[in-house]
Amino acid sequence: MKNFKAVQPWLTLAGRILLGVVLILAGYLKAKSPDQAQMAVRAYELLPISLANFFGLALPWCEMGAGLLLVVGLSVRYAAIFGGLLMLLFVGAISQAWARGLSIDCGCFGGGGQVAAGHTKYLQEILRDLGLTLTAVFLYRYPQGKLGFERESAPTQGDAVD
Amino acid sequence: MPLTEKKKTAKKTKDNTTRNLTIGMVLFVVVIGVAFSVLSNKTNSHVSIPSAVSATDGYGIVINKDAKVRVDIWEDFQCPNCRNFETVAGNYLNGLARDGKIKAVFHPLTFIGPESILAAAAAACTSDQGKFLDMHTALYNNQPSTENSGAWTNIKLKLLAITAGDTSKSTQSCIDSGKYTNWTNNVAADGAKKNVNATPTVFINGVQLNQAHYLNLPALQADLAAAGVK
Repeated sequence: MKNFKAVQPWLTLAGRILLGVVLILAGYLKAKSPDQAQMAVRAYELLPISLANFFGLALPWCEMGAGLLLVVGLSVRYAAIFGGLLMLLFVGAISQAWARGLSIDCGCFGGGGQVAAGHTKYLQEILRDLGLTLTAVFLYRYPQGKLGFERESAPTQGDAVD
Repeated sequence: MPLTEKKKTAKKTKDNTTRNLTIGMVLFVVVIGVAFSVLSNKTNSHVSIPSAVSATDGYGIVINKDAKVRVDIWEDFQCPNCRNFETVAGNYLNGLARDGKIKAVFHPLTFIGPESILAAAAAACTSDQGKFLDMHTALYNNQPSTENSGAWTNIKLKLLAITAGDTSKSTQSCIDSGKYTNWTNNVAADGAKKNVNATPTVFINGVQLNQAHYLNLPALQADLAAAGVK
């Protein structure tokens, strides 16, 4: 376990940057084309239209906010919970689209909406989001890492303190 | 309390203030961003709209407002599938619109990007001169092979309007000034409300066209005949 103790802060840093950069990028690409982000959410056929449209506009900013907190290393736990739940939500939404036989692009990094049958990439999308969920779980368990804003006043790792 | 301990506590408080302040700032920016996105994507009833457009028809460009059979066409001038649809059905639909047999409502969406906005706004300018159908055809005939590559600028679109037969000065200045740029946002907002999730999307008397009929002219003709087009 001594080895792990030495490596863990670096793993946390890597996880923060991975999940953080993915969230910032995904949010930025969506915020850049709001029409398409709204369309992507509607195409899941999960939410009432007006709510889906609002979600499409609000989600990108929340993603960018959580991503920023992860990259600078602030309130890593809450940001990781948010990111992890978001990824699980995406996995659920994509799975139901797959199961119902919808032909859509996940719209994860901009784009989205209906695509031709046979052009869906559900499995890759789900595996990617599950990987990111695991990253979030790791960050929740070990929020203290290298180059974190909070490392000075850090509680001991693993404590249930944000 | 030893001095070092005291120092540590002071440092910790200061750290917490900076920390909370930074977190607060991030949350603030998120809230402002959401508000900005929601407000800038709302329908704005004060923008300039072409004379053939009304809010009741979802801000679409209307041709033959009194014809009985209504055909709504949601499209993006940069979308390849829309061009395919135009190639298959364009002449037929334009003919029906020119003969007054359908009320054609064109909704140019702009989700592909900035050049879709330029093209839609330019097409709206020509609609004020009764040249929309010609410009519509010209745009698809000259659709750039890559999206937002810089191929469609206002200068190019002005030339395209002239080749489409709209030589009026007012169209040229309308394109130059971007008179109908903000109108495209209203079209997009209406498409969002009407759950239009792909382009092209066609409704005949409010009923969405069967997916297999877009590139099948006889099927489309049969649908329109069933809707009452003679």
